Parts: sequence; C-alpha cells; structure tokens
Amino acid sequence: MSVIEVKDLTKVFRIPKKDPGLGGAIKGLFRPQFENKTAVDGISFNLDAGEIVGYIGVNGAGKSTTIKMLTGVLMPTSGNISVLGRDPHRQRVDNARDIGVVFGQRSQLWWDLALIESLNLIARIYDVHPVKYRLMLNQFTETLELDELLKIPVRNMSLGQKMRSELAAALIHEPKIVYLDEPTIGLDLLVKERIRDFIKKECISKGMTVMLTTHDLGDIEELCQRVIIIDDGRIIYDGPIDTIKKRFGKYREITFDTVENVNGLVLPEGAERLEAPDYKVQIRFDRTLSTASKIASTVMNQVEVSDFSLSEPDLGDIVKQIYNGALDREPR
Amino acid sequence: MIRNAKRDLSVYAAFFAMIPKLFMAYQLWFWIGLVLSVISMAILVFFWRAVYADTASISGLALDKTLQYILLAFIFSPLAGNDLVWEFGSNLREGMMIHHLLRPINFQGMNYAQNLGRLVTELMLQIPVVIVAVVLFGLRFPTDIATWLGFIVSALLGLTVMFFFYWFLACLTFYTTEVWGLGVLIQGMSFFLSGTLVPIIMMPAWLQTIVLSVPFAQAVGVPVSLLTGIIPLSEAPRVWLTQILWIIGMWILSTLFFKVAVRKITVQGG
Amino acid sequence: MTRYLNLYWLFLIQRLKVLMEYRASFILGAASTIVWQGSSIAAVWVVMQKVPDLNGWNYDEVLLIYGLITLSKSINHMFADNLWTLGRMYIRSGGFERFLVRPIDPLFHLLADRFCQDGVGNFLVGAALVVKSTIALGIDWTPPKLAMLVVGVLSGGFIFIALNLITCVSAFWIVDSVPVTRLVFDNHLFAQYPLTIYPRAINILLTWLIPYGFASFYPASYLLDRQIGNIAWFGPFVAAILLFIGYRLWQTGLKYYSGTGS
Repeated sequence: MSVIEVKDLTKVFRIPKKDPGLGGAIKGLFRPQFENKTAVDGISFNLDAGEIVGYIGVNGAGKSTTIKMLTGVLMPTSGNISVLGRDPHRQRVDNARDIGVVFGQRSQLWWDLALIESLNLIARIYDVHPVKYRLMLNQFTETLELDELLKIPVRNMSLGQKMRSELAAALIHEPKIVYLDEPTIGLDLLVKERIRDFIKKECISKGMTVMLTTHDLGDIEELCQRVIIIDDGRIIYDGPIDTIKKRFGKYREITFDTVENVNGLVLPEGAERLEAPDYKVQIRFDRTLSTASKIASTVMNQVEVSDFSLSEPDLGDIVKQIYNGALDREPR
Repeated sequence: MIRNAKRDLSVYAAFFAMIPKLFMAYQLWFWIGLVLSVISMAILVFFWRAVYADTASISGLALDKTLQYILLAFIFSPLAGNDLVWEFGSNLREGMMIHHLLRPINFQGMNYAQNLGRLVTELMLQIPVVIVAVVLFGLRFPTDIATWLGFIVSALLGLTVMFFFYWFLACLTFYTTEVWGLGVLIQGMSFFLSGTLVPIIMMPAWLQTIVLSVPFAQAVGVPVSLLTGIIPLSEAPRVWLTQILWIIGMWILSTLFFKVAVRKITVQGG
Repeated sequence: MTRYLNLYWLFLIQRLKVLMEYRASFILGAASTIVWQGSSIAAVWVVMQKVPDLNGWNYDEVLLIYGLITLSKSINHMFADNLWTLGRMYIRSGGFERFLVRPIDPLFHLLADRFCQDGVGNFLVGAALVVKSTIALGIDWTPPKLAMLVVGVLSGGFIFIALNLITCVSAFWIVDSVPVTRLVFDNHLFAQYPLTIYPRAINILLTWLIPYGFASFYPASYLLDRQIGNIAWFGPFVAAILLFIGYRLWQTGLKYYSGTGS
C-alpha cells in the first residue's frame, strides 16, 4: 500500500533575469523579465509503508525542492502528490500531524530552552497524549541517551547532541512518515553510527516510512533498501541499493600528479582512465579485478609520478556515470 | 584630437550613467530613513509651533530661533553617539584586545580616528535631511563664518568628550553581557540630556545644573547653541574651555577604567 | 480555540522562564523603554512649565494622550513584537519553513514564539501616565467612560498589531520588512500629542489612513468631554477592518511564499 504517491511532479521557478549595465537596470525596473528554472521535472515514484528510501543527488539536483513539496511547504507547478491520501499543500495541517521532519542544518528546538521544555512544547503542539508522551520520552531517553541532555538548552549542545535531540523531537509524536534531510552532516563517525542505529531501530520497528536525503553514502548503505537518484530535476535511478553497491561500491580511484602529460597509458584489466586536468592522471579500477599497488606500479613504469592519492568515487561521479548510461551497460 | 575628445566624452558619460545606477542601488532603508526623519522633524515643528501659539517668547527665545535650534540639534544629533559600547561588547572585542596589547599604535587614538571617520560619514548622510528641513520647514543657516568656526570647534570638542565618555562606559561591557540593553538605556537618556528635545535654556535652573553635569549636552546642545547664537559668540572661549575640562576629566576616567578592565581580561581571561 | 489558548499559555510560560533566567536583561530591557519614554515626557514637562497649554490642551491632558497611546503600543510591543522579525529571523534563515511543517497556524506560531519583555516598560509608563493624569484631571468615571478607556486601549493595541501585520507581510516578497514597517509605525509618534496641533492633512492621515488617532486622541477627547462626536467609538471597527485586511494579506503572502520557495 503506497503511503506516498508522486506523479509527474514538476516545479518551475520564475527567476528574475537581470541584464547587466544601466539599460538592463532600468529595464528591470519597468519591465521585469523572468526566466524559468525547472527544479523538478515530471518525477514519479511511490513509497510503500515501512520503506526506507535514500533520495540522493548532487547539490541543486532538486532534492530539497522535492522534499519541500512533499512536506507541503512548497506548492507544485504541476503534477500530483498524495501523502497518506492527502494533498500535503492543501491539507497542510492534517498532513503535518503525520509527518516528522529533520532539517539537518536547522534545528526545530528552541535555542534557550532546556531540551525537556522543547519536547514538552512540541508534544503539546502535536497533541501527543500525556501518557503516550511519557512513554516515548522514556524510550528515547534510553535509546538516544538523553539523560544528561534533558536539562541542557540547545545552545550549549555539541553537534552530535543536537542531532540526537533533533531526532527525538521529530519522532516524539510517532509520525507515520519521516523526512530526514542530511541528518548526519558534520558528525564524526562514532556519532553517525549511533544515529544510524537509532533510525534503524526506531523507524523500522515502528513501520515508519523514511525518506532520507543525504550526501553520505555510508548513510545510504546502512539504512536504505532502495535508492532514488535525482539529477537536474529528473529521476535517473529508482531501485534497490544492491545494484548501486554492486556496480559502484567496488570501485576505487587513484589520482596521480605527473611531471609530464601522457596519452595512451596501458592499463591492467579492470582499470579505466578518467578525464582529468593537465599533469594529472585519474584511474578508476575495480577492486575485484585489480589492486591499487598493481595500478600504481603500472602507471609509474610509464610516466614519472610526483604524488598520488587514493579515494572512493564520490556521489557526483556516480551520478555522472549513471547519467552517461553506466547502469545500462553490462556489468563488468 | 577628435579621438581624445570622444574618449573623454565616453568617460564622462560612464560617470554620469553611474548616478542613476547609484540612485537605484540605494537601499530601501536610505529612502525610508529619510521619510522617518521627515516624520520626526514634522512632529518637532508642529509641536513647537503649538507651544508658541499664544506666546511670543519663551526663556528669551522666539519661535523661529527655537525651531532653528531644534532642527539643527536634530541634524547634528549623531555627534552625541557612537558605537563603542557595541564594539566593546561584541565578539570583535577579543580581536581588538589583541591589537591593543601587541601593536605599538595608540589603541585609543586609532579608535578615535575611526570614530571621527564614522561621524563624518553619518553627517554626510544627513544632507538630504538638511535639504528637506530647509525646503519644507524653513530652516535657515547662519551665514557668519565666525559663528561657523565657533560651532565647528565646539562640535569637535564635544564629540571628543562623548568619545571618552563612551569609552568609559564601554569598559562596563567587560564585566557584563548586557551590552544591548545598556546601549539602548544610555541612548534613551542621551535623547533628553543632550539638549536635543528641549533647549537647555528653557529648563528650570535645577534641571539645567543636572543636564550640564553630565557630558551629553556638550556634544549637541552646547555647539548648536553657539551655532544659533543662543550662546553668543563672545562666550565661545568660555564654552570651549569648559569642554576641554570635560575632555580632560573623561579622558582620565576612561583611561583608568580601561587599564583596570584590560587587567581583568589578561588576568582572568575574557 | 481553547487549544490555541492553552498552547499560547504554554509558549508564554516557557518564554517567561527563559526571561527570568536572564533577569538582568529583563530588567534592563524594561528599564530602557521606560527611559526612552521618560526623555520625551521630561521634554513635555519642561515645555509646559513655560506655557499653560498646548493648543488648548493642558499638561495633564497631554499626558493622558501620551499615556493612552503608550498603553496601546505596549500591547503590540509585548505580544506581537515577533512580527518585526519575520523577515530577518525567520524567512531569511529558513526557520519559517518549520512553522509550515507543524500542525498549527503559522501566524499564531510567529506571535506566540516571542513575548517581548521590553513592552512591559511601555505598559508601566502608559499605565502610570493614565493614572496620574486622570487623577489630576478629576475624571468622573461613568460606565461609558470606563468602557471608552478599555475599548480605546484595546482597539488601539489591535490597530498597532494590524498595521504591523500589514507591513510585515512584505517580508514574503522583500525579506527585510523592517523599513516598511517603520515607515508606517513611526507615524504613531504624531499621535503621542493632540492631533489638533497638526495641519488637516496629518489629521486625516492619522484618522483614516494610518489610524493611530484612535489609540489616543479620540478616546482622550471623549474622556475629557470635548465634543468629538461618535467618532470616538469607531476604534474597534477600525481595528477589526485593519485586522481583516492584515490577515488576508498574510494569507496572500503565505501563498506567494509557498509558490516561489525561499
């Protein structure tokens, strides 16, 4: 049963166009011109109850615009959204009751209030029954280790403490759908793990539907069964995470700083050369087919290398590849 | 030669074209600020006209003299204020302190120069207000050079008094976080005590004594009184001397307090 | 409705708790508004030592007008101060979106989120002035006059709030709405004194366009038995109309905001 149904959703922004120079400024005053920017271009997807979906894309791809429309904050230009059978924009208040939102950078807690006071206030805003509230509070205090935090105002909390508090605040009214926007941004690995554990335990056990937007592939790998990739307003992938992992998870990249430019390098199997600026050689290789040291020695036998570094492919690269049809090709 | 002329012309044209651009680049605040000043001046003018409705002279001042005083005091009111309390109380303080302790330049001197620059800019921004005052409310300026010189000297002395006074106050911010409220409180008092709202001469003797025993009047009320002739030019030297005494007094107080406050920071930490 | 009242109470309690923590700031804030008002009143006092009346209004009558508008202003200052901050603190930072994601009215949330303690200073000054002047003037408190006092102050307060609401809506379009609000708000300074000292144009402005006159001049005229006519009772209707306009504009602004994004 789909709890979120999105069909042909489109959002076009009218951005005022400013011509340079004096003439442009005057023109802008009297006959303002606009250009259309399509942030979301006819996307469609359905989420079933209890799914945990990763919604990823590079900055500016349309992620936050989509989330804003799903939460009822932004009005679509065209298309349909149905969240638990409601139009989130037209039935904003009713929809709000059933959703919880974490905006990674912006806290919903009151800056000067002790955490417990913030939670009390939020519970009242969402009309959480006092008995239920007590239950949830005890539960979260345990699972999120909030004991020491309850009496502290947000302004005195570290980033990790803030995020734990944020999650408690977002889920205290047991929403059916949870939108998590960059929940682990800026956190160190240990805290990230705790947050991920919590999300897994809380949301999965309660059958909450979770939509997670993030740049952190670790989040995706640990939490999501399904991934939707949006690029330039369009969905370029919507499917199980295993495919992504299989196709890209095995790759590593080495970047060499070379003394001279070289065309036509001979590379071992499983390695391919990517586009790179001058005096740099970038190689992507399949870990199952080759090793870093093999690549490195092969390259260094052919060209003088001054420095090199090893990294995982980033999200932008994966998106680019998918866009270029990497998923359509036979997996190597 | 024609080419040169053409090039000159295009440069002039570019400069000229900048004017409307500047016009439109000016923030909303500037124009609205002007309207707000007009509202304030209008209230002042109508208020005093009503006051003088049945009287020709109050404390020896006729209506037009009082209006001249009030409007000029309004225009020159920036002289009575500065940002020291904000600056000392803000996050900039640590950076400032490091400058003070490490650099050979006189910290107070540097701030004074900055303050002066800021004041000049603020007064320049009052020019549109002046134009409105002249056109709408019939403000007339004295034409006598000597009067202007007397005023300028007094204004410089007066703002120096305020500089040291605020420096003294700003040191309080080392001991408390209540910077904003403190600043607003002082501003509120300064409003009356600077002689901006009411000419000092009109106040009863006991109130005049109080007002003249705090420094605010030295920055606006006194110089503007000179400018309008309420204090005759012959008295100027006496006025300046009083202001210089104020400067000395405030300078001593501010330097002492500052030393103490800095010691607190370097010993205890900000 | 009761739900909203309970919620407001909760917001208020929380805010007061925080303010009590910063007790010095609380007192300083209230004190600074008292000092500001004190300056203006001191000026009036000095002047009225020298002349018996201002356009036919004696010292205490002028104080009554000043006190009434200060009381009205304080209502706005205490309960609707957050309207000023809509653009700078909520729209610019994206914090306003949080209001839209919660199941309560965003305007309510904005207003309830901040009770401003500085307004208490204005309230105290206004009340003191009204008490002092009415005692000195020996006003006979008949039921209509008592009603006028309450009605005048309350509708004045709502006129302040409505005008601020109308102007702060501009934040949805231009983000920094403060200059626009100041443009209208500062006109209340005219109404601190009897409207009769101003030319006709300003009277019309302050009665029919930016009707701060109903917060001070008209109620005072009634209380002082000056033949002002029925206009004295227009205040609540004026307030209601302005509030209606304000709320419709707010809804329009919200629609625009959710159409164009932040």
